[in-house]
Amino acid sequence: MLQTTTQRTLSTLLYLVAGLTGLLAFAAPFLTPHLLNLVQQTGATSPTPYRPDAPLVTSLLLLLSLAVLLVEVQGQAVSAKIVAALGVLVAVTAVLRFIEVAIPGPGGLSPIFAPIILAGFVFGARFGFLMGTMTLLVSALITGGVGPWLPYQMFAAGWVGLTAGWLPKPRSPKVQITLLASFGFLWGLLFGAILNLYFWPFLNDGSLQSWQPGLSLAATLGRYASFYAATSLLWDIGRGLGNAVLILALGYPAIQVLVRFRDRFQFRRN
Amino acid sequence: MPAQSDLQPPASSPFSPLPFSKLDARAWVVWVLVTAVLTMMARNPLYTLLLLLAALAAQRPQSSGLKLPLLRLGSIIILFSAAFNLLWIHAGELVLFRLPAQWPLVGGAYTLEAAAYGIINGLLLFTLLALFQAFGGNVSSSDLVRLMPGALRDLGVVVLIAITYVPETHRQLQRIQQAQAIRGHRLRGWRDWRPVAIPLLISGMERALAVAEAMVARGYGATNDSAQRIPVQVGLLLSLTAVCGGWLLALWQQTLGWLLIGAGGAGIVALFVLLGHRNPRTRYQPRSWHWRDSLVVGTAVLALLIALLPAIRPSLSYSPFPTLALPPFHPLIGLALALLSIPGLFNNE
Repeated sequence: MLQTTTQRTLSTLLYLVAGLTGLLAFAAPFLTPHLLNLVQQTGATSPTPYRPDAPLVTSLLLLLSLAVLLVEVQGQAVSAKIVAALGVLVAVTAVLRFIEVAIPGPGGLSPIFAPIILAGFVFGARFGFLMGTMTLLVSALITGGVGPWLPYQMFAAGWVGLTAGWLPKPRSPKVQITLLASFGFLWGLLFGAILNLYFWPFLNDGSLQSWQPGLSLAATLGRYASFYAATSLLWDIGRGLGNAVLILALGYPAIQVLVRFRDRFQFRRN
Repeated sequence: MPAQSDLQPPASSPFSPLPFSKLDARAWVVWVLVTAVLTMMARNPLYTLLLLLAALAAQRPQSSGLKLPLLRLGSIIILFSAAFNLLWIHAGELVLFRLPAQWPLVGGAYTLEAAAYGIINGLLLFTLLALFQAFGGNVSSSDLVRLMPGALRDLGVVVLIAITYVPETHRQLQRIQQAQAIRGHRLRGWRDWRPVAIPLLISGMERALAVAEAMVARGYGATNDSAQRIPVQVGLLLSLTAVCGGWLLALWQQTLGWLLIGAGGAGIVALFVLLGHRNPRTRYQPRSWHWRDSLVVGTAVLALLIALLPAIRPSLSYSPFPTLALPPFHPLIGLALALLSIPGLFNNE
């Protein structure tokens, strides 16, 4: 599909604004003390204090930016081939996810990330983004896991596929697989850290901050780091290792299959 | 119900659908949204308990094999949240015991208020979980796909293909496993997944090719409306910028900020409606709206309106700090929240 310069500029701007809005929604618990300090310094006083990291508000922000992103990516990347390939790949991954629900592995081990990473790596960033979001959506629909956490999971998994598409493509298979495996390990940790932010404001609510009005960004980050190390680190290391092992064991033949089908589909890499 | 004529996997599959709920999927959506918003707004444990009861009442009596052990999970969440707050938050007046203050993070006073605060928050998370499990159990996935906005038509097709092929892919997985088992293949290490996973991937991609060919043959994607996209893109860009800017502006100028957020959100919704009208959908045997659906929607909206009445709204919030006290309870709000249990009445017939 040919694109004019206007469309391309608009599309880049949309990605930027939607990405920024999503990032703000995720980072709201860290930014809030900073913002509230800023408000106090400028001397503005409102009768009822408003908390920018209230879960209702950030969920709304995230949901809207996700909706905008999906419309935009869909408008750009869509064709019968992509729709069919996405649908079937998501189905395969969702079946893998079902195995995960039935037989819980060690820690946060989940077999859904390796396919998202490999698909993003082979088919490009946009495909990877759609693969991540759609996989989480479909497996939530199947297992009855629809909830306020779903937009957060979709966003984060979309980022996994998106960034996998940005990876360099080294020629040597060994370097390729090592790169992808370490990428998978890192995302295993990062995914947990990002998703904790969804319920962290619940556990560590604003009423706490009224006793520590000067709490800085660094202090909040430190608090979060200690929370993360205590509650999620082991679990997420399990997930990261699972990703790495899955990619090491199955990555190379899977990439070969995907590349062969990409050529048969006559995909343009976008 | 045998009257349902959708394509359904055989009963042996773990993906076999549940018997359908008596309520319309849209009524369930309104109910779950109202209850979730109230759950997130009300920090008062008495109200949260009422909401939890409503969510538990609406659980499907018999469910598929994927059901989470809800009560066990709930007690784990509440215990974890209480322990976490007890460890990390050292504010409050009813001190249970103390650890030396110089110990990093864990040192300081351990208070009953912190534990109570943790229990309240755990209860809240548990209520959300139970609520959405009730929703997921009552609304079939094909109904959920139909609820996907028309603006996301192509992604809706992706979801539809995926959901249609999940049972088939699962059967395919079993067939491949059987075939490999006959050859003496056993799953021991990670690498043993290769002879199972790769054929699954190949057969899946072959099927994708066939599906794509069938779709192209039926004219899918034949119209190219890329010229019409620019106004939509501009609209989305402006609306989302308004939402994001309003979120920041509301810190200084609350009314103006919320107006901006509202305008941006309305803009996005309007564009979605507009895009949806470009792709009209038809449905074979549409489900008719029943008085039960109106009752559920009406009572849910009524409950939200009552809880938002400015006069009684303050009793929604409660904090155990600085000293633990009994939370306030307004009978009118209690009554409103009890209305949310109505969907549970239609479940056990």
